[in-house]
Amino acid sequence: MRAPHFQEHDMSKFRRLLALVVATCISCTGFMPAANAGLISTEQVAASEGLRTAEQQRSHVLETLQRADVAQALAERGVNLDQARARVAALSDAEAAQMAAQIDTAPAGADGLLGTVVFVFVLLLITDVLGYTHIFPFVRPVR
Amino acid sequence: MCGLAFAWLSGCAVQTTALRSRPPSDLPGAAELSATPFFAQTAYQCGPAALATALAAIGIDAAPAWLAEQIFLPARTGTLQTEMLAGARRHGAVATRLLGTLDALLREVAAGHVVVVLQNLGLSFAPRWHYAVVVGYDVVAGDVLLRSGGTQREVIAMRTFEYTWARSGFWAFVASRPGDWPVTAELDAAAEAAVGFERSASPAQALRVYDSALQRWPDSLTLAMGQANALYAAGNKARAAELFEATARRHRSAAAWINLSGTLLELGAPQAALDAARQAVGLDDEPWRARAAQALEAAQRAQLP
Repeated sequence: MRAPHFQEHDMSKFRRLLALVVATCISCTGFMPAANAGLISTEQVAASEGLRTAEQQRSHVLETLQRADVAQALAERGVNLDQARARVAALSDAEAAQMAAQIDTAPAGADGLLGTVVFVFVLLLITDVLGYTHIFPFVRPVR
Repeated sequence: MCGLAFAWLSGCAVQTTALRSRPPSDLPGAAELSATPFFAQTAYQCGPAALATALAAIGIDAAPAWLAEQIFLPARTGTLQTEMLAGARRHGAVATRLLGTLDALLREVAAGHVVVVLQNLGLSFAPRWHYAVVVGYDVVAGDVLLRSGGTQREVIAMRTFEYTWARSGFWAFVASRPGDWPVTAELDAAAEAAVGFERSASPAQALRVYDSALQRWPDSLTLAMGQANALYAAGNKARAAELFEATARRHRSAAAWINLSGTLLELGAPQAALDAARQAVGLDDEPWRARAAQALEAAQRAQLP
Protein backbone atom coordinates (compact mmCIF):
# COMPACT_ATOMS: atom_id res chain seq x y z
CA MET A 1 0.00 0.00 0.00
CA ARG A 2 2.96 2.34 -0.10
CA ALA A 3 3.46 4.54 -3.11
CA PRO A 4 6.73 3.74 -4.82
CA HIS A 5 6.32 6.22 -7.66
CA PHE A 6 8.82 8.77 -6.52
CA GLN A 7 11.53 6.17 -6.75
CA GLU A 8 10.62 4.84 -10.11
CA HIS A 9 13.40 6.54 -11.99
CA ASP A 10 16.06 5.32 -9.63
CA MET A 11 14.54 1.91 -9.50
CA SER A 12 14.66 1.52 -13.26
CA LYS A 13 18.36 2.34 -13.27
CA PHE A 14 18.68 -0.06 -10.45
CA ARG A 15 16.90 -2.79 -12.38
CA ARG A 16 19.07 -2.26 -15.40
CA LEU A 17 22.08 -2.77 -13.21
CA LEU A 18 20.51 -5.85 -11.71
CA ALA A 19 19.73 -7.22 -15.15
CA LEU A 20 23.30 -6.62 -16.23
CA VAL A 21 24.71 -8.30 -13.16
CA VAL A 22 22.44 -11.27 -13.52
CA ALA A 23 23.09 -11.57 -17.26
CA THR A 24 26.81 -11.54 -16.57
CA CYS A 25 26.46 -14.16 -13.88
CA ILE A 26 24.42 -16.40 -16.12
CA SER A 27 26.81 -16.10 -19.03
CA CYS A 28 29.86 -16.94 -16.97
CA THR A 29 28.49 -19.82 -14.94
CA GLY A 30 28.08 -22.08 -17.93
CA PHE A 31 24.36 -21.79 -18.35
CA MET A 32 24.72 -22.41 -22.08
CA PRO A 33 22.94 -25.59 -22.97
CA ALA A 34 24.91 -28.44 -24.48
CA ALA A 35 24.15 -30.05 -27.84
CA ASN A 36 20.87 -31.48 -26.70
CA ALA A 37 19.30 -28.51 -25.01
CA GLY A 38 16.45 -30.54 -23.59
CA LEU A 39 12.82 -29.78 -24.16
CA ILE A 40 11.11 -26.48 -23.63
CA SER A 41 9.37 -26.63 -20.28
CA THR A 42 5.69 -26.04 -19.74
CA GLU A 43 6.56 -23.06 -17.56
CA GLN A 44 8.45 -21.43 -20.39
CA VAL A 45 5.49 -21.98 -22.70
CA ALA A 46 3.15 -20.54 -20.10
CA ALA A 47 5.43 -17.52 -19.79
CA SER A 48 5.48 -17.04 -23.55
CA GLU A 49 1.71 -17.24 -23.54
CA GLY A 50 1.81 -14.22 -21.31
CA LEU A 51 0.43 -16.21 -18.47
CA ARG A 52 3.51 -15.91 -16.28
CA THR A 53 6.93 -14.42 -16.37
CA ALA A 54 10.36 -15.94 -16.58
CA GLU A 55 12.05 -18.64 -14.65
CA GLN A 56 15.07 -16.50 -13.90
CA GLN A 57 13.22 -14.93 -11.02
CA ARG A 58 13.48 -18.14 -9.12
CA SER A 59 17.18 -18.48 -9.77
CA HIS A 60 17.64 -14.95 -8.45
CA VAL A 61 16.01 -15.94 -5.24
CA LEU A 62 17.91 -19.22 -5.09
CA GLU A 63 21.21 -17.52 -5.85
CA THR A 64 20.44 -15.18 -3.02
CA LEU A 65 20.19 -18.08 -0.67
CA GLN A 66 23.69 -19.27 -1.56
CA ARG A 67 25.31 -16.26 0.03
CA ALA A 68 26.78 -16.67 3.48
CA ASP A 69 25.52 -13.34 4.79
CA VAL A 70 22.08 -14.07 3.44
CA ALA A 71 22.08 -17.49 5.03
CA GLN A 72 23.08 -15.91 8.30
CA ALA A 73 20.38 -13.27 8.05
CA LEU A 74 17.86 -16.01 7.40
CA ALA A 75 19.12 -18.03 10.33
CA GLU A 76 18.79 -14.99 12.59
CA ARG A 77 15.16 -14.84 11.56
CA GLY A 78 14.58 -18.46 12.36
CA VAL A 79 14.57 -19.81 8.81
CA ASN A 80 16.60 -22.89 8.00
CA LEU A 81 18.45 -22.58 4.67
CA ASP A 82 17.32 -25.93 3.31
CA GLN A 83 13.75 -25.13 4.16
CA ALA A 84 14.09 -21.79 2.42
CA ARG A 85 15.48 -23.47 -0.72
CA ALA A 86 12.70 -26.02 -0.72
CA ARG A 87 10.19 -23.23 -0.40
CA VAL A 88 11.57 -21.37 -3.36
CA ALA A 89 11.65 -24.57 -5.38
CA ALA A 90 8.00 -25.21 -4.66
CA LEU A 91 6.88 -21.79 -5.87
CA SER A 92 5.52 -21.52 -9.38
CA ASP A 93 7.33 -19.14 -11.70
CA ALA A 94 4.53 -16.68 -11.28
CA GLU A 95 4.94 -16.66 -7.55
CA ALA A 96 8.72 -16.45 -7.76
CA ALA A 97 8.28 -13.55 -10.15
CA GLN A 98 5.89 -11.92 -7.74
CA MET A 99 8.48 -12.21 -5.01
CA ALA A 100 11.23 -10.88 -7.23
CA ALA A 101 8.97 -8.10 -8.47
CA GLN A 102 8.84 -6.69 -4.99
CA ILE A 103 12.23 -5.22 -5.70
CA ASP A 104 10.31 -2.65 -7.73
CA THR A 105 8.21 -1.54 -4.84
CA ALA A 106 10.67 -1.96 -2.01
CA PRO A 107 11.86 1.23 -0.38
CA ALA A 108 15.28 1.58 -1.93
CA GLY A 109 16.24 4.23 0.57
CA ALA A 110 19.47 5.25 -1.11
CA ASP A 111 19.06 6.94 -4.46
CA GLY A 112 21.01 4.49 -6.55
CA LEU A 113 24.24 5.08 -4.63
CA LEU A 114 23.81 1.86 -2.73
CA GLY A 115 23.02 -0.05 -5.86
CA THR A 116 25.82 -2.50 -5.38
CA VAL A 117 25.50 -6.17 -5.93
CA VAL A 118 25.40 -6.87 -2.23
CA PHE A 119 22.65 -4.38 -1.79
CA VAL A 120 20.70 -6.04 -4.56
CA PHE A 121 21.06 -9.40 -2.92
CA VAL A 122 20.26 -8.13 0.52
CA LEU A 123 17.25 -6.31 -0.82
CA LEU A 124 16.17 -9.49 -2.53
CA LEU A 125 16.59 -11.29 0.73
CA ILE A 126 14.61 -8.78 2.64
CA THR A 127 11.80 -8.25 0.19
CA ASP A 128 11.57 -11.56 -1.59
CA VAL A 129 12.48 -14.19 0.89
CA LEU A 130 11.14 -12.68 4.03
CA GLY A 131 8.59 -10.34 2.57
CA TYR A 132 9.62 -7.33 4.60
CA THR A 133 7.68 -5.10 2.30
CA HIS A 134 4.05 -5.01 3.16
CA ILE A 135 2.82 -5.37 -0.36
CA PHE A 136 2.83 -9.05 0.20
CA PRO A 137 0.62 -9.45 3.24
CA PHE A 138 2.04 -11.50 6.03
CA VAL A 139 -0.32 -13.20 8.28
CA ARG A 140 -0.69 -12.03 11.81
CA PRO A 141 -3.70 -13.94 12.89
CA VAL A 142 -5.92 -13.48 15.87
CA ARG A 143 -5.15 -15.72 18.78
CA MET B 1 -4.32 5.35 2.06
CA CYS B 2 -6.69 6.50 4.74
CA GLY B 3 -9.05 7.64 2.04
CA LEU B 4 -8.99 4.19 0.57
CA ALA B 5 -9.54 2.61 3.94
CA PHE B 6 -12.40 4.94 4.60
CA ALA B 7 -13.98 4.09 1.29
CA TRP B 8 -13.86 0.46 2.28
CA LEU B 9 -15.26 1.17 5.68
CA SER B 10 -18.14 3.18 4.36
CA GLY B 11 -18.80 0.91 1.40
CA CYS B 12 -21.39 -1.78 1.66
CA ALA B 13 -21.12 -5.49 1.21
CA VAL B 14 -22.09 -5.33 -2.44
CA GLN B 15 -21.81 -8.99 -3.23
CA THR B 16 -23.73 -10.13 -0.18
CA THR B 17 -26.54 -7.71 -0.89
CA ALA B 18 -26.78 -8.79 -4.52
CA LEU B 19 -26.57 -12.47 -3.71
CA ARG B 20 -29.17 -12.37 -0.98
CA SER B 21 -31.65 -10.18 -2.83
CA ARG B 22 -31.43 -12.24 -6.04
CA PRO B 23 -30.07 -15.67 -5.18
CA PRO B 24 -28.89 -17.52 -8.33
CA SER B 25 -31.44 -20.22 -9.12
CA ASP B 26 -28.75 -22.83 -9.69
CA LEU B 27 -27.05 -22.24 -6.35
CA PRO B 28 -28.34 -24.31 -3.43
CA GLY B 29 -29.69 -22.03 -0.70
CA ALA B 30 -27.49 -23.59 1.94
CA ALA B 31 -24.70 -26.12 2.19
CA GLU B 32 -22.38 -27.36 4.88
CA LEU B 33 -19.45 -29.72 4.55
CA SER B 34 -19.79 -30.79 8.16
CA ALA B 35 -17.42 -33.75 7.82
CA THR B 36 -14.51 -31.35 7.26
CA PRO B 37 -11.91 -32.03 9.95
CA PHE B 38 -10.78 -29.33 12.32
CA PHE B 39 -7.30 -28.42 13.45
CA ALA B 40 -7.27 -25.77 16.15
CA GLN B 41 -4.49 -23.31 15.53
CA THR B 42 -1.68 -22.87 18.00
CA ALA B 43 -0.20 -19.43 18.67
CA TYR B 44 -0.08 -17.55 15.37
CA GLN B 45 -0.25 -20.57 13.17
CA CYS B 46 -3.58 -20.11 11.42
CA GLY B 47 -1.92 -20.75 8.03
CA PRO B 48 -0.72 -24.27 8.81
CA ALA B 49 -4.00 -25.06 10.58
CA ALA B 50 -6.10 -23.88 7.61
CA LEU B 51 -3.92 -25.75 5.16
CA ALA B 52 -4.05 -28.93 7.23
CA THR B 53 -7.85 -28.63 7.28
CA ALA B 54 -8.08 -28.18 3.52
CA LEU B 55 -5.70 -31.09 2.87
CA ALA B 56 -7.46 -33.38 5.32
CA ALA B 57 -10.75 -32.56 3.60
CA ILE B 58 -9.42 -34.24 0.44
CA GLY B 59 -7.87 -37.12 2.36
CA ILE B 60 -4.29 -35.86 2.56
CA ASP B 61 -2.90 -36.31 6.02
CA ALA B 62 -0.60 -33.49 7.08
CA ALA B 63 -0.22 -32.44 10.68
CA PRO B 64 -0.26 -28.67 11.24
CA ALA B 65 2.99 -28.87 13.21
CA TRP B 66 4.68 -30.53 10.26
CA LEU B 67 3.22 -28.03 7.82
CA ALA B 68 4.30 -25.18 10.05
CA GLU B 69 7.90 -26.20 9.59
CA GLN B 70 7.47 -25.83 5.86
CA ILE B 71 5.36 -22.73 5.49
CA PHE B 72 5.60 -20.76 8.70
CA LEU B 73 8.08 -17.89 9.06
CA PRO B 74 8.88 -17.73 12.76
CA ALA B 75 10.29 -14.20 12.74
CA ARG B 76 7.16 -12.87 11.08
CA THR B 77 4.76 -15.06 13.00
CA GLY B 78 2.92 -15.71 9.79
CA THR B 79 2.64 -17.54 6.51
CA LEU B 80 2.91 -16.10 3.01
CA GLN B 81 0.03 -16.63 0.63
CA THR B 82 2.31 -18.15 -1.98
CA GLU B 83 3.61 -20.57 0.63
CA MET B 84 0.09 -21.74 1.29
CA LEU B 85 -0.23 -22.67 -2.38
CA ALA B 86 3.24 -24.18 -2.51
CA GLY B 87 2.65 -26.08 0.73
CA ALA B 88 -0.51 -27.63 -0.68
CA ARG B 89 1.34 -28.71 -3.82
CA ARG B 90 4.18 -30.24 -1.90
CA HIS B 91 1.64 -32.52 -0.26
CA GLY B 92 0.26 -33.69 -3.57
CA ALA B 93 -2.72 -31.36 -3.91
CA VAL B 94 -3.47 -29.04 -6.81
CA ALA B 95 -3.86 -25.52 -5.45
CA THR B 96 -6.05 -23.36 -7.66
CA ARG B 97 -6.79 -19.72 -7.01
CA LEU B 98 -10.46 -18.78 -7.22
CA LEU B 99 -12.12 -15.78 -8.72
CA GLY B 100 -12.71 -13.38 -5.87
CA THR B 101 -16.47 -13.57 -5.90
CA LEU B 102 -18.83 -14.71 -3.23
CA ASP B 103 -20.77 -16.54 -5.91
CA ALA B 104 -17.72 -18.64 -6.87
CA LEU B 105 -16.92 -19.28 -3.24
CA LEU B 106 -20.38 -20.59 -2.43
CA ARG B 107 -20.53 -22.67 -5.61
CA GLU B 108 -17.34 -24.44 -4.59
CA VAL B 109 -18.77 -25.27 -1.19
CA ALA B 110 -22.00 -26.45 -2.81
CA ALA B 111 -19.89 -28.68 -5.07
CA GLY B 112 -18.13 -30.17 -2.06
CA HIS B 113 -14.88 -28.20 -2.08
CA VAL B 114 -13.81 -26.39 1.05
CA VAL B 115 -12.14 -23.05 0.29
CA VAL B 116 -9.13 -21.55 2.04
CA VAL B 117 -9.56 -17.80 2.36
CA LEU B 118 -7.38 -14.99 3.58
CA GLN B 119 -9.19 -12.45 5.71
CA ASN B 120 -8.11 -9.19 7.15
CA LEU B 121 -10.01 -9.12 10.40
CA GLY B 122 -8.68 -5.65 11.18
CA LEU B 123 -8.68 -2.59 9.02
CA SER B 124 -6.60 -1.94 5.95
CA PHE B 125 -4.29 0.41 7.87
CA ALA B 126 -4.16 -1.86 10.92
CA PRO B 127 -4.36 -5.31 9.39
CA ARG B 128 -4.97 -8.48 11.25
CA TRP B 129 -4.42 -11.20 8.70
CA HIS B 130 -6.06 -14.53 9.17
CA TYR B 131 -6.49 -17.73 7.20
CA ALA B 132 -9.72 -19.68 7.55
CA VAL B 133 -11.53 -22.43 5.69
CA VAL B 134 -15.02 -21.88 4.34
CA VAL B 135 -17.08 -25.05 4.90
CA GLY B 136 -20.65 -23.83 4.56
CA TYR B 137 -23.14 -21.03 3.98
CA ASP B 138 -26.78 -20.16 4.27
CA VAL B 139 -28.01 -17.54 1.84
CA VAL B 140 -31.35 -17.02 3.56
CA ALA B 141 -29.88 -16.64 7.04
CA GLY B 142 -26.99 -14.67 5.57
CA ASP B 143 -24.28 -16.75 7.19
CA VAL B 144 -20.92 -18.17 6.22
CA LEU B 145 -19.52 -21.14 8.16
CA LEU B 146 -15.82 -21.42 8.82
CA ARG B 147 -13.19 -23.60 10.39
CA SER B 148 -11.31 -20.71 11.88
CA GLY B 149 -8.57 -20.34 14.47
CA GLY B 150 -9.71 -22.07 17.62
CA THR B 151 -13.34 -22.26 16.57
CA GLN B 152 -14.53 -25.46 14.99
CA ARG B 153 -17.74 -24.07 13.56
CA GLU B 154 -17.66 -20.33 13.31
CA VAL B 155 -20.84 -18.70 12.09
CA ILE B 156 -20.06 -15.31 10.63
CA ALA B 157 -22.51 -12.89 9.00
CA MET B 158 -22.04 -13.05 5.24
CA ARG B 159 -21.63 -9.30 5.00
CA THR B 160 -19.00 -9.25 7.74
CA PHE B 161 -17.24 -12.07 5.99
CA GLU B 162 -17.33 -10.12 2.74
CA TYR B 163 -15.78 -7.09 4.44
CA THR B 164 -12.94 -9.09 5.95
CA TRP B 165 -12.38 -11.00 2.73
CA ALA B 166 -12.47 -7.87 0.57
CA ARG B 167 -9.64 -6.42 2.65
CA SER B 168 -7.42 -9.31 1.58
CA GLY B 169 -8.24 -8.66 -2.07
CA PHE B 170 -10.68 -11.60 -2.09
CA TRP B 171 -7.83 -14.10 -1.89
CA ALA B 172 -9.01 -17.71 -1.97
CA PHE B 173 -7.94 -21.09 -3.24
CA VAL B 174 -9.15 -24.66 -3.42
CA ALA B 175 -6.85 -27.60 -2.78
CA SER B 176 -8.02 -30.55 -4.85
CA ARG B 177 -6.84 -34.01 -5.71
CA PRO B 178 -5.02 -34.33 -9.04
CA GLY B 179 -7.66 -34.76 -11.72
CA ASP B 180 -10.32 -32.85 -9.82
CA TRP B 181 -10.80 -29.12 -10.46
CA PRO B 182 -12.76 -26.40 -8.71
CA VAL B 183 -16.07 -26.00 -10.52
CA THR B 184 -15.54 -22.26 -10.91
CA ALA B 185 -11.85 -22.40 -11.90
CA GLU B 186 -10.80 -20.31 -14.88
CA LEU B 187 -8.20 -21.25 -17.46
CA ASP B 188 -5.43 -18.90 -16.30
CA ALA B 189 -5.72 -20.01 -12.70
CA ALA B 190 -5.91 -23.66 -13.74
CA ALA B 191 -2.86 -23.38 -15.99
CA GLU B 192 -0.93 -21.71 -13.22
CA ALA B 193 -2.05 -24.37 -10.77
CA ALA B 194 -1.09 -27.18 -13.15
CA VAL B 195 2.32 -25.70 -13.90
CA GLY B 196 2.97 -25.15 -10.21
CA PHE B 197 1.88 -28.69 -9.47
CA GLU B 198 4.11 -30.16 -12.18
CA ARG B 199 7.09 -28.58 -10.42
CA SER B 200 6.81 -30.77 -7.35
CA ALA B 201 4.90 -33.78 -8.67
CA SER B 202 5.77 -37.03 -10.38
CA PRO B 203 5.27 -37.07 -14.18
CA ALA B 204 2.38 -39.51 -13.78
CA GLN B 205 0.58 -37.18 -11.38
CA ALA B 206 1.31 -34.15 -13.53
CA LEU B 207 -0.04 -36.00 -16.53
CA ARG B 208 -3.25 -36.68 -14.71
CA VAL B 209 -3.64 -33.00 -13.91
CA TYR B 210 -2.98 -31.92 -17.52
CA ASP B 211 -5.27 -34.60 -18.94
CA SER B 212 -8.14 -33.51 -16.74
CA ALA B 213 -7.52 -29.81 -17.40
CA LEU B 214 -7.49 -30.36 -21.17
CA GLN B 215 -10.88 -32.02 -21.02
CA ARG B 216 -12.23 -28.79 -19.67
CA TRP B 217 -10.02 -26.29 -21.55
CA PRO B 218 -9.12 -28.12 -24.79
CA ASP B 219 -7.85 -24.96 -26.53
CA SER B 220 -5.00 -24.14 -24.18
CA LEU B 221 -1.51 -24.33 -25.64
CA THR B 222 0.08 -24.30 -22.20
CA LEU B 223 -1.98 -27.25 -21.03
CA ALA B 224 -1.35 -29.18 -24.25
CA MET B 225 2.38 -28.63 -23.90
CA GLY B 226 2.19 -29.63 -20.27
CA GLN B 227 0.48 -32.86 -21.20
CA ALA B 228 3.07 -33.74 -23.84
CA ASN B 229 5.97 -32.72 -21.61
CA ALA B 230 4.59 -34.86 -18.78
CA LEU B 231 4.28 -37.84 -21.12
CA TYR B 232 7.85 -37.29 -22.22
CA ALA B 233 9.01 -37.05 -18.63
CA ALA B 234 7.09 -40.23 -17.82
CA GLY B 235 9.12 -41.98 -20.52
CA ASN B 236 6.35 -42.36 -23.09
CA LYS B 237 8.24 -40.57 -25.83
CA ALA B 238 6.35 -42.01 -28.78
CA ARG B 239 3.02 -40.74 -27.49
CA ALA B 240 4.65 -37.46 -26.46
CA ALA B 241 5.88 -37.00 -30.03
CA GLU B 242 2.34 -37.51 -31.36
CA LEU B 243 0.99 -34.88 -28.99
CA PHE B 244 3.82 -32.44 -29.71
CA GLU B 245 3.03 -32.74 -33.39
CA ALA B 246 -0.71 -32.32 -32.91
CA THR B 247 -0.08 -29.29 -30.69
CA ALA B 248 2.45 -27.82 -33.10
CA ARG B 249 -0.01 -28.02 -35.97
CA ARG B 250 -3.03 -26.89 -34.03
CA HIS B 251 -1.42 -23.91 -32.35
CA ARG B 252 1.31 -23.19 -34.92
CA SER B 253 3.65 -23.40 -31.95
CA ALA B 254 7.40 -23.22 -32.51
CA ALA B 255 7.94 -24.51 -28.98
CA ALA B 256 5.98 -27.66 -29.79
CA TRP B 257 7.93 -28.19 -33.05
CA ILE B 258 11.18 -27.78 -31.11
CA ASN B 259 10.15 -30.34 -28.52
CA LEU B 260 8.93 -32.66 -31.27
CA SER B 261 12.29 -32.39 -32.98
CA GLY B 262 14.20 -33.20 -29.80
CA THR B 263 11.92 -36.11 -29.00
CA LEU B 264 12.18 -37.55 -32.53
CA LEU B 265 15.96 -37.41 -32.32
CA GLU B 266 15.83 -39.45 -29.17
CA LEU B 267 13.45 -41.86 -30.87
CA GLY B 268 16.00 -42.36 -33.66
CA ALA B 269 14.12 -40.52 -36.39
CA PRO B 270 16.62 -37.86 -37.51
CA GLN B 271 14.91 -37.03 -40.79
CA ALA B 272 11.57 -36.35 -39.13
CA ALA B 273 13.41 -34.40 -36.43
CA LEU B 274 14.99 -32.25 -39.12
CA ASP B 275 11.58 -31.57 -40.68
CA ALA B 276 10.18 -30.55 -37.31
CA ALA B 277 13.11 -28.26 -36.57
CA ARG B 278 12.66 -26.62 -39.99
CA GLN B 279 9.02 -25.99 -39.15
CA ALA B 280 10.10 -24.35 -35.89
CA VAL B 281 12.64 -22.16 -37.65
CA GLY B 282 10.11 -21.35 -40.38
CA LEU B 283 7.62 -19.95 -37.88
CA ASP B 284 10.25 -17.41 -36.86
CA ASP B 285 8.59 -16.90 -33.52
CA GLU B 286 10.67 -14.43 -31.55
CA PRO B 287 10.79 -16.06 -28.09
CA TRP B 288 11.87 -19.41 -29.56
CA ARG B 289 14.18 -18.24 -32.34
CA ALA B 290 17.41 -19.25 -30.61
CA ARG B 291 16.03 -22.58 -29.45
CA ALA B 292 14.70 -23.31 -32.93
CA ALA B 293 18.14 -22.66 -34.41
CA GLN B 294 19.69 -24.98 -31.84
CA ALA B 295 17.14 -27.68 -32.64
CA LEU B 296 17.91 -27.35 -36.34
CA GLU B 297 21.61 -27.60 -35.70
CA ALA B 298 21.16 -30.70 -33.54
CA ALA B 299 18.96 -32.35 -36.18
CA GLN B 300 21.45 -31.52 -38.93
CA ARG B 301 24.28 -32.96 -36.90
CA ALA B 302 22.27 -36.15 -36.52
CA GLN B 303 22.06 -36.49 -40.31
CA LEU B 304 25.80 -36.98 -40.57
CA PRO B 305 26.90 -40.57 -40.83
